[in-house]
Amino acid sequence: MEVVDVRPILAPFVSFLCAGLVFGFGRSIFWRRFFTFLAAFIKMALVLSMLPGTLQGVVYVYQFVEFTPGIGIGFRADAYGMFFSLVSSTLWVFTTIYAIGYMQGDRDRVRFFGFFALCVSTTVGVAFAENLLTFFLFYETLTICTYPLVVHAETREALRAGRIYLTYTLIGGGFALVGAVMTLNAAGTLTFAAPGILGLESGVGTLAVIFLCLIIGFGVKAAVMPLHGWLPIAMVAPTPVSALLHAVAVVKVGAFGVTRVIYNVFGVELLQQLGFATPLALLAGFTIVAASTIALTQDHLKRRLAYSTISQLSYIVLGAALLTPLAATAAVLHIANQAFAKITMFFVVGAITRTTGKKYVSEIDGIGARMPWSMAAFTIASLSFVGVPLTAGFITKWYLALGALEADAWWFVLVLIASSLLNAGYFFPILHRAYFRPAKEPWPPLEPGRHFETPKTLLIPIVICAAYVLLLGVTAEVPGMPGSVAQVAVESFFAPRGVGP
Amino acid sequence: MTSAVGLVGGLGVVSSWWPGVAVALPLVGVVAVSVGRLSERWRVVALVAPAVAALAVALAIVGDVVAGRLPELFVLHMTPTLWMVLRVDAPGALYGATVAALGLLALVFSFGYVHRGPRWSRYFAFLMASLSCTLGVAYAGNLLTFLIFYEAFSVLTYALVVHEQTPEAIRAGAKYIAYILVGGSLVLAGILLTYFLAGDLTFVAGGFLAADVSRGQLLAAFWCFVAGFGVKAALVPLHGWVPDAHPAAPAPFSAVLSGVMVAAGAFGIMRVALDVFGADLVRALGVASWLTAIAAVTVLVGALLAIGQDDLKRRLAYSTISQMGYLTLAVSLLGSGVMAGALVHLVHHAFLKGTLFFCAGLWIHAGGGRRVGELRGIGARMPLTAAAFTLAVLGMIGVPPLSGFVSKWWLGVGMLEVDAGIGLAVLLAGALLAAAYLLPVVYVVYFAPAGPTAGRSGREAPATMLAPTLVAAALTIVFGLGSHYGGFPLDLAQLAVAAWFGGG
Repeated sequence: MEVVDVRPILAPFVSFLCAGLVFGFGRSIFWRRFFTFLAAFIKMALVLSMLPGTLQGVVYVYQFVEFTPGIGIGFRADAYGMFFSLVSSTLWVFTTIYAIGYMQGDRDRVRFFGFFALCVSTTVGVAFAENLLTFFLFYETLTICTYPLVVHAETREALRAGRIYLTYTLIGGGFALVGAVMTLNAAGTLTFAAPGILGLESGVGTLAVIFLCLIIGFGVKAAVMPLHGWLPIAMVAPTPVSALLHAVAVVKVGAFGVTRVIYNVFGVELLQQLGFATPLALLAGFTIVAASTIALTQDHLKRRLAYSTISQLSYIVLGAALLTPLAATAAVLHIANQAFAKITMFFVVGAITRTTGKKYVSEIDGIGARMPWSMAAFTIASLSFVGVPLTAGFITKWYLALGALEADAWWFVLVLIASSLLNAGYFFPILHRAYFRPAKEPWPPLEPGRHFETPKTLLIPIVICAAYVLLLGVTAEVPGMPGSVAQVAVESFFAPRGVGP
Repeated sequence: MTSAVGLVGGLGVVSSWWPGVAVALPLVGVVAVSVGRLSERWRVVALVAPAVAALAVALAIVGDVVAGRLPELFVLHMTPTLWMVLRVDAPGALYGATVAALGLLALVFSFGYVHRGPRWSRYFAFLMASLSCTLGVAYAGNLLTFLIFYEAFSVLTYALVVHEQTPEAIRAGAKYIAYILVGGSLVLAGILLTYFLAGDLTFVAGGFLAADVSRGQLLAAFWCFVAGFGVKAALVPLHGWVPDAHPAAPAPFSAVLSGVMVAAGAFGIMRVALDVFGADLVRALGVASWLTAIAAVTVLVGALLAIGQDDLKRRLAYSTISQMGYLTLAVSLLGSGVMAGALVHLVHHAFLKGTLFFCAGLWIHAGGGRRVGELRGIGARMPLTAAAFTLAVLGMIGVPPLSGFVSKWWLGVGMLEVDAGIGLAVLLAGALLAAAYLLPVVYVVYFAPAGPTAGRSGREAPATMLAPTLVAAALTIVFGLGSHYGGFPLDLAQLAVAAWFGGG
């Protein structure tokens, strides 16, 4: 059931407005914080207010402009879009709190928080995009808005990372644009539809080119190997940026795009006939194992997390490419599961750097005693990536492995097991050092007047996100939690053609 | 304990909080030592009281199960088709009570053994947490719940293996965690296949997997389970972590590790063979004889390797490998008598091996050394410890009327029932080899002339350490003489096999 409603466009607009206000009045710390928080909460309230409807199958739509019939900018909050925007708007709140603590005393915070809000605006725009054109528009805007955040420090290294980032993503964007134009030509429309818009009548050759272009275009941000080169380099960005953008916004937009292409442009039925998804699944499987293997060798904490991210993103791509309902559930759920666990880790690493100045795995011996809450949160997130039951990661692994069995592709179960063990291989040594090795030199004492291991603005988001990782692991059934939204989304992907919303 | 909600094998399932209470109680101790700022005296109380209470609840549950009521508690739904549930049947009640009892003894022993210092709280917090999770393994009502607790205690145990933080301990810990994680992954793979094939994970006596699905996938699931649990059960050649982890860990924890945690692997194999696949399906798959071969090799290789070990705790570790092989051997023979013997052996072995490790710990504590050669003549200076050790050695070999004799007797009778001549030969060879690797220690303790290193040490330990040792040793006699009483291991074992094989 479709209902015309202004909320799908209001949600991205709120952050957009906030960005404008921050740029305009952000010199004052008070107003900057005030606008950022107000927008974050209004946006979350907007998204949450649509949730009950989504669970009952309502899809909120709003057509903004129409250039020519059938081509325009439109917004549509379907279950999958709702899922993604719920994740990003929830995490925006926590990242804002964290960023305020982390960036204290840093240079040019007006620019930072302004572009930060713009990024969130475009991310939700991507989530609610009704058609490929709108999607592409926000996708490219996100690329541009992230650049100032990546190069924030303006060091030679940061500027170089920014250049590489732009090169990768703009070339990817070019591919996506070609794919979109060809889709319009082949299907006569760009509007996402639940079981897909393309048909066999366009010819296998054309379809193959469209698939390739769109997957390369979105695969760059999803960091599917060999398109991943920008991600570890972009880790020079300040930690809140790495956290939100490289655990949630940028990379997830890529993974979200890949799933949209598979389920809402091509559709399950068509892809099963064409068989294009199998090579993509193999590539994702390769990325999962290869990126984890590289992560084993990284001593720099954030780089280790970056390679872990590359590996984890391919879980989403793999889940989508297996084309079975259970695997799709895993793909959708992993957007939230990976986001909360990875953002916890980035937050902790940032807190460690902020509190002790340490950036390398080999430097954090014995930190468990100095920062017990942070390391407890890190432990929970690690267990989630290993896929220990009762954490979010287990749910993903469970559905993904069942999906692989459903698709008669048991070797992916082996890939998942290997990946779990590799995850243990690069996260457990960190825990071992933190808890079971004596500190090499005494840790800096608490600043006078403080009761906690690190400023509260850093610690609170860490603890909440870690708690959420546990919550996601046990509430897949509870209505209103991400699991229930994912169910609705997956049902629409597999609805027969013409029946879906 | 209210209304009956179902019947399983003629036994009533009743919803009850008690299994959850038993699992949760040790966690009180965890909180008390890790968060609270209690004085030392109160911390000891906060550890011992919940452990005693957990034992009381575990024994009460045994009473319930003997009376025909199987307590069940739903814990939580993770997804619409995955949930955690505790449901105690006879084997679970038996194993749970063993865990609680040996855990309490080890806890008391630890107060004397573990040095005061910054790691004191960590040791006790992890000990209690892993006891809680091991109880969860005993009471798990489906495969997922089993896996959750199994993985949890396996990972928590790492902190206890590396407790002393010596280079050897760290190395043993790394080896341990690598083995365990690979094993846990294989178990998870087996669970996935099971769920994929059956759409359910709840234990049912007699099994719930149907024979009419892909034989290849059934075989894959079975071997994933055996390999996964086999790591913990120390089946040769997956036993590599055992002889390193035991000497590295503090002695009271070695006792728990050998007594009930290695047994958790064998317990898992039992659950899978009899509550997931069922005896008929295992026979139909034709995997039983392979499992028999693996188990027989484990019994013999473990015992042969034990003979040459100079480090006493390492020798005992190899002995555990050999003794736990009996459990898998019994499962593979699929007979009711032999399974009853195996369950009894699980309990009896726990206290026998517990006694042996406690004694080894007392000698280390008294400065007597870790190596067998350093124990020359220590029997004269520590007579009670030496007596307890000797008693447990005799029990281990199977001298009547001690507990070890009872379990070997039932194992042997059960093997004759199913015409397993090879099994009987392995059983006898294992007992003879046990004599060969344990009696020389007794000889050294009592009769070897004191060497140059002796004499510098040796007084009986304080009561907190001696008492648990003597209690464990006394249980060897109690279980031996009282084996036919209601509520004793044999009684529960017979209930268990009645559910598994019908009639009994």
